[in-house]
Amino acid sequence: MSVPAIAVRGLVKDYGSFRAVENLDLDVERGDFLAFLGPNGAGKTTTIHCVTGLCRYASGSIRVMGHDVTTDYRSARRRIGLCPQEFNFDPFLSIEGILVYQAGYFGIGRADATVRARRLLDRFRLSDKKDQDFRKLSGGMKRRLLLCRALVHDPDILILDEPTAGADIELKYQIWDFLREINSAGKTIFLTTHYMEEAERLSRTVVVLHRGRILHRGSTPDFHGDKDLETRYLELVREAEAEP
Amino acid sequence: MITVGLRTLARREIVRYFVVFSQTLLPPLVSSTLFLFVFGCSIGSRIEVDLGGNSYLEFLVPGLVMMHLIESSYANASSSLFISRWHNHIQELLLSPLSYAEMVCGYLAGAVSRGLIVGTGVYLISMLFVRTGVAHPMWVLYFALTVTVIFASAGLLTALWADGFEKLSFWGTFVLSPLIYFGGVFHSVSMVPDALRPLSYANPVFYLISGLRYGLIGGSDVPVGISAGVAGGLAVVLVGIVTSLFRAGWRIRS
Repeated sequence: MSVPAIAVRGLVKDYGSFRAVENLDLDVERGDFLAFLGPNGAGKTTTIHCVTGLCRYASGSIRVMGHDVTTDYRSARRRIGLCPQEFNFDPFLSIEGILVYQAGYFGIGRADATVRARRLLDRFRLSDKKDQDFRKLSGGMKRRLLLCRALVHDPDILILDEPTAGADIELKYQIWDFLREINSAGKTIFLTTHYMEEAERLSRTVVVLHRGRILHRGSTPDFHGDKDLETRYLELVREAEAEP
Repeated sequence: MITVGLRTLARREIVRYFVVFSQTLLPPLVSSTLFLFVFGCSIGSRIEVDLGGNSYLEFLVPGLVMMHLIESSYANASSSLFISRWHNHIQELLLSPLSYAEMVCGYLAGAVSRGLIVGTGVYLISMLFVRTGVAHPMWVLYFALTVTVIFASAGLLTALWADGFEKLSFWGTFVLSPLIYFGGVFHSVSMVPDALRPLSYANPVFYLISGLRYGLIGGSDVPVGISAGVAGGLAVVLVGIVTSLFRAGWRIRS
């Protein structure tokens, strides 16, 4: 049996006295398309940050393609591309520069990095903007640039934190098509979203998180059965909210 | 070993200050010209103190070079890291496989290079006013490098500690500037009243200025070996602290 793309064991993360993630166990299989759902404050982004190394955690272990994210962080980080919620680009660089430098941080030489950057900009229809300042891009273009940046080092795992938030319907479908395409080609995708339609259409596995604990994990069709995913999700969360 | 990742970060740091060169490289050259004119030519010619056989203008040049080595390296490191925290594009580095030592070295490379460019510029401008020559080039190089590493590291510490622009400017204004001005940029310790001399000797910047002065004009307030020890020791300690804080994720990882 192959090593999971992401293996989380007993993860605990506290912010002061607030426990954001409580003893979380989670496996993400290679090649899976996993939707990581939960209400605001459930611990989704915190979990992502622990996996990617943006967050320190109190206890537990996280392995990415078999590499521990703390002791073997360099190998683990090579395997992940993160597409965050916010547009956190370096304001001193052009759009192409953002991608070329990001590839450089991953050890990719300048010539190769430029080829990769241009290929991605072309794929996401940003080529004509390559010399511009990112602040001049529209919201949808910035979202596409986030995806380009996450992919420029060709990671095995793509983690998306609400990738279509604020996107218009055309962009949303473009992103969905692209995600299906790269998932079919073998990339593992870990998606957090508040759009249940997005999770239902794209994912094969659903994990529902609530107050830092997993409420449900299983295949997407099995989870919602003959109901739509949003209805089933709301039932589950409301049941959990009703518990003392 | 200089990896592609480290080279990339160092290049990014250098590009950053060249993009805004009118704010990073030109102002120190203008202010130095003014200092040299006002303090060196106008007031300095009236100062009659024994400065080891050097004129006041000759004595002033190493102090000015040192002041700008310190200020430029400190400002570059503190502003670059703080802005990357503020805009949160520090995530680009934290998500990458760069080691923490490489991250620190990348930031230091930018700050040290800016300090050296500005320091060289100030020295070249001083040649318009006085020809001092270079008495001990290797000591000049040693102090220029160690001093820029020390204050680039101090800038990184400030940028990690500060959670707002007010705090960012606090150390520069209330700590660094007094240390520089009381450290002997404009005066020799022999000009300081006896009662205040212990303060000069307690100021690390005093040893750094004295060391560079020895390198440039061959005379100094303290033996060059002591200055070199202070500079080397501070550089090693501060780089070690900064690297440890990066590794621990202090203020950069939640």
